[in-house]
Amino acid sequence: MTEKELLEQLNELKSIKPNEDWANWLLSNILSQSSFVIASEAKQSQKPKIHLVSFSFLHQYQKALVSVALVVLFVSTFAFAQTALPGNPLYPIKTLTQNARIALAPKDYKPVIRMQIAKNRLQDIAQTHQKDNIALLSQNVQKDLETIPKELKNIQNKNKTLTYSKQVQTEAQGLKDIISQTQLQPQEKEALEKTSQEAQNQVLSLIIDTQDQINNCPTYLKDKLTNLQNDFAQQGQNLIQWPPDDINKVRVLVSDIENDLKAGNCLEAMDKIESINQILQIHSLDIKVETSKPESSD
Amino acid sequence: MTEQEFINLYKNNLDKVFRFIYLRVDKVETAEDLTAQAFLKVWQRQIPVIASDEALPAGRQESPVISNPTAFIYRVARNQIIDFYRQKKKVPISLEELKEKGIDLPQKSFLSQIELSFEMENLKKALQRIKPAYSEVIIWHYVDDLSTKEISQILNKNENSVRVLLHRALETLKKELNKKV
Repeated sequence: MTEKELLEQLNELKSIKPNEDWANWLLSNILSQSSFVIASEAKQSQKPKIHLVSFSFLHQYQKALVSVALVVLFVSTFAFAQTALPGNPLYPIKTLTQNARIALAPKDYKPVIRMQIAKNRLQDIAQTHQKDNIALLSQNVQKDLETIPKELKNIQNKNKTLTYSKQVQTEAQGLKDIISQTQLQPQEKEALEKTSQEAQNQVLSLIIDTQDQINNCPTYLKDKLTNLQNDFAQQGQNLIQWPPDDINKVRVLVSDIENDLKAGNCLEAMDKIESINQILQIHSLDIKVETSKPESSD
Repeated sequence: MTEQEFINLYKNNLDKVFRFIYLRVDKVETAEDLTAQAFLKVWQRQIPVIASDEALPAGRQESPVISNPTAFIYRVARNQIIDFYRQKKKVPISLEELKEKGIDLPQKSFLSQIELSFEMENLKKALQRIKPAYSEVIIWHYVDDLSTKEISQILNKNENSVRVLLHRALETLKKELNKKV
């Protein structure tokens, strides 16, 4: 289509007109509104004007408001859940939050958080009147109490081991009283008390050992180095089969230990010896697995 | 605005405003409805009309006045169309709204029956497919014979911008029509 043809067609659109009767009717109808408009305006001028509060602006922020409402709902649900007790529908949210706290805690600090949460859970069990759901919860607390000393032993830095073990010991105070207040079955209560006591004993033992190692570091270090030497001697020909990465790691660690000893950093040297020990243990396991293989039937 | 001023505005612009709206909506009834609402709004506002070269009377400097009644009614009509499409997404518009405003509904025999040829119907549909800003200026300039100066007053733009807009609009419409052929 050319521009000329298009303009001709557009010109034809001028023929569009409203119905004449309708046009006359509309004009008379609109003009008849004058009395109505003037009368209503006069009425309005006599009355004090009242401005009603308009909430129409809310539509503009609808999406943002929905998002904010969801966040508020989410946060308030979590906040309410923190006061929930076993048997409450919100309690699983509370345990979920507690598990997330443990998972997100730094590796060495996990045992402290785990002890705090185990204590909180025991307090929940002691406060609730529910008897059905608490058995499973007490089993979980028991597992946590068993895990805590293991996690503390795995901390390589001796100073950290001592600090966190002491924190765990402080947190564990009063556990016995709380367990006695629970409505657990006598057998369950007894098992829980036993586990709690064992965990506390292990932590105390770790504190004494670690403190001793720190105080008598050079002696311990000498023993450790002797043990390390023996361990490597036992490895013998198997050292050839070690992956190059592990050999390099040990070389670097030995070099660092040498530097630490020169600088008088006994505890740091001990930590590094622990790291070498861990590598050695892994390969000792390999040797054990290989030697325990059944002989071929040929 | 006096009654006579409104009658003059109505008689001089009704066809154009109706056509402008009709070409932007589907049905004659909708066009009649929106046209009626547009003129009713102008009448109800009771804004005085002042000729563009006339000096404003004392005390009127701060109050709104209509210096170009045609541009004003087109602006109102344009807003009616925008509101119509905005509301159409939510609820269907009906003639009942006019009744609520105090206007009796017209008798059925009043409703216009506009019959467009096949080409004109095609053109109308093409105008509705292109950008509203393009269809507006085409209708105003090529159908309603508004000058670029008058369009610039409606759109609050300078004349050069209107000329550019018109050129682009016509090209787009041509492409749209050729696409369908």
